[in-house]
Amino acid sequence: MKTLAIMRRDLLKLRRNPLTLISTILMPIIYLVIIGNSFQGQLKHLPVVLVAQDHGEYARRMVEQMLALQAGPKTINLSFMADPGDAIAAVRDGRFKGAVVIPPNFSHNVAEGRLAEIGLFTDNVDSVSASAIEGVLADAAQSIRISFVTAREPKLNQIVLRPSWLFQYVDYDRSLIPGVIVMAIFMGSLMSGVFNWVMDKFMGMTECYLVTPLSRWNIAAGILGSGVTITSIAGIVVLFLGLLITGGRIQGGVPALVTLIAIIVITSTGLLAMTFAILGRASHPRLVGTFAGFLNVILFFPSGAIYPIESFPPWLKAFARYNPETHSVSAIKSILFKGADLNAVTGDITFLIIFMAVTLALASISFKRTL
Amino acid sequence: MEPVSAAIQTRDLTKQFGGFTAVDSVSFEVRRGEVFGLLGPNGAGKTTLVRMLTTLLPPTSGKAIVAGQDVGRHPTRVRERIGVIPQALTSDLDLTGWENIDIYGEFYDVPRRQRHQRARRLLEMVGLRERANDLVATYSGGMRRRLEIARGLIHSPEVLFLDEPTIGLDPQSRRAVWDLLETLRKESEITISLTTHYMDEAEQLCDRIAIVDHGKIIALDTPSGLKRMVEGADRVDLEIEGDTKAIAEMLKQEPYLREVELDGASRLTLGADDGPHVVPKIIDRVESAGAKVASISVHRLSLEDVFIRFTGRSLRDEPAKKVSFLVGAGMPQSRS
Repeated sequence: MKTLAIMRRDLLKLRRNPLTLISTILMPIIYLVIIGNSFQGQLKHLPVVLVAQDHGEYARRMVEQMLALQAGPKTINLSFMADPGDAIAAVRDGRFKGAVVIPPNFSHNVAEGRLAEIGLFTDNVDSVSASAIEGVLADAAQSIRISFVTAREPKLNQIVLRPSWLFQYVDYDRSLIPGVIVMAIFMGSLMSGVFNWVMDKFMGMTECYLVTPLSRWNIAAGILGSGVTITSIAGIVVLFLGLLITGGRIQGGVPALVTLIAIIVITSTGLLAMTFAILGRASHPRLVGTFAGFLNVILFFPSGAIYPIESFPPWLKAFARYNPETHSVSAIKSILFKGADLNAVTGDITFLIIFMAVTLALASISFKRTL
Repeated sequence: MEPVSAAIQTRDLTKQFGGFTAVDSVSFEVRRGEVFGLLGPNGAGKTTLVRMLTTLLPPTSGKAIVAGQDVGRHPTRVRERIGVIPQALTSDLDLTGWENIDIYGEFYDVPRRQRHQRARRLLEMVGLRERANDLVATYSGGMRRRLEIARGLIHSPEVLFLDEPTIGLDPQSRRAVWDLLETLRKESEITISLTTHYMDEAEQLCDRIAIVDHGKIIALDTPSGLKRMVEGADRVDLEIEGDTKAIAEMLKQEPYLREVELDGASRLTLGADDGPHVVPKIIDRVESAGAKVASISVHRLSLEDVFIRFTGRSLRDEPAKKVSFLVGAGMPQSRS
């Protein structure tokens, strides 16, 4: 009976806290949809650019194989360029995951039974995509050898895919560093900003702020300032710890470090303002806790921190495009691993600055100087 | 309104929440340097009244002037001139006592040197000088409350609002807070508004007391003045040897007695305005009638008796508080 009484008490409390029930039932479904779609097994729609400098028989066969990859398993989205330099530059600045170059004398070399190489230049910072592209294109080259062997064919086993990495080697552990930094920023922004505020409100402590001459702006700017400081320090510490553990270093020296710190500060400010805009008026820390977990999942997993966003279904890809964490991860990856300069991340930083401005405006509207 | 000389002045101050009137056309004045008590049952409207006076809630109508400034028109000026000690313990547990006071002083732009001088003096006054550099998390409830009183004084406010300052404290801590407020009253010209449920506290500390009920001030006077408003409230219990009924009939004729009731075969219960002074008269009268007083005792009217006389014995059903549908009863929205 006593045990039943405890059970009854807890069940009654649960029934009167629908948020707990909703989050228990709904959150796993949402998490499953988001996480499930973020890790879909076989990669798809990886953007690859092809430079076919040879238009002979065997080059044509290779192009057909690649078009078949696009049409069938949809592993790649194929684009064409004329100049190998442009194609490699496009991979460097993140527009494509890989560039395939079929050299001018490819078909001739095949016909002559000489070594015939196909060049593949991958964005190896995204090691998951790079491996996938390398795998499917190696299979494609293999297919030429197998599918077209006849008595009259020359020695097709001389066709070779020659992969090259455009950036220094980044192992899987190191490739996670940008994601870990962004997650640290998110957690820091939440715990140092809106959670503190709502907890103070819940404990009745904001009352002692509100009876002082502190203006709404004083309070908001003070909380934002401390939050950004703590969160940025957390992000920077995680950056160095990550590099220390994985044995990496920052490509690009001091200017790159300054750019990274700027990205961390802008991301921190944007996420702090976002959580304030959404949760600043919550009356109970439970609300913050529940939504924090939800926001973390829906922002982190579709950010490209672990899995390439190109493989997401269209709806999730569209979301990822407007996800601030996507741009933060992308910018940090570019600076940290690719040694990219500020120009290469202008798009991401511009997005983050606009996001920060919009969320600051929304937070200022949402934040009231009331009990 | 008349030119302001009072520390607090209200005229028809009203606060409504939807259809519910929490404070209903309240008008009163608190003189400078006065300790003014607000007494009332739960849900009477005290907290709402104080929240309006401390700028936390805008009045629905009426006017309030605090420390010479209009609460509705110049809330920031009011905030600069008042100190508030809320009912909840609001000192930061993760900061030291010193840091709590120092940071609070910065909210008021008190210059650093002045702030530190005042903080030292105030910590001394509240008996926390030795513990100033300890985390507040290590303080007892009484120490936290004393610290918060010191914190509320860091900017030398003209008016100090205290909301249930001794609630939940042990008797020693309560006495310490009382002593502190007594010291403040003696040594400064600060005006103190004290909301409390403790009648002994109100009687001990307050120059005048307003009894609030149903959103209105139903009585306002000094503690002794409030007692005088209740006629025949001192109770005299009398045990006599003799004809009790005849004595009772005789005493009913005495002008200094308000009530005479038989209480058993030999006991009488009498109501009087001034119990101690009528005792000799009662004894003389009883003995002159040939009876003998076996025992007599006087129960003086307490402030609590006065409070109950004014507000009644019935328990109040407070208006239903809003409870979040989503998060349940974690944090009901207070509006009393």
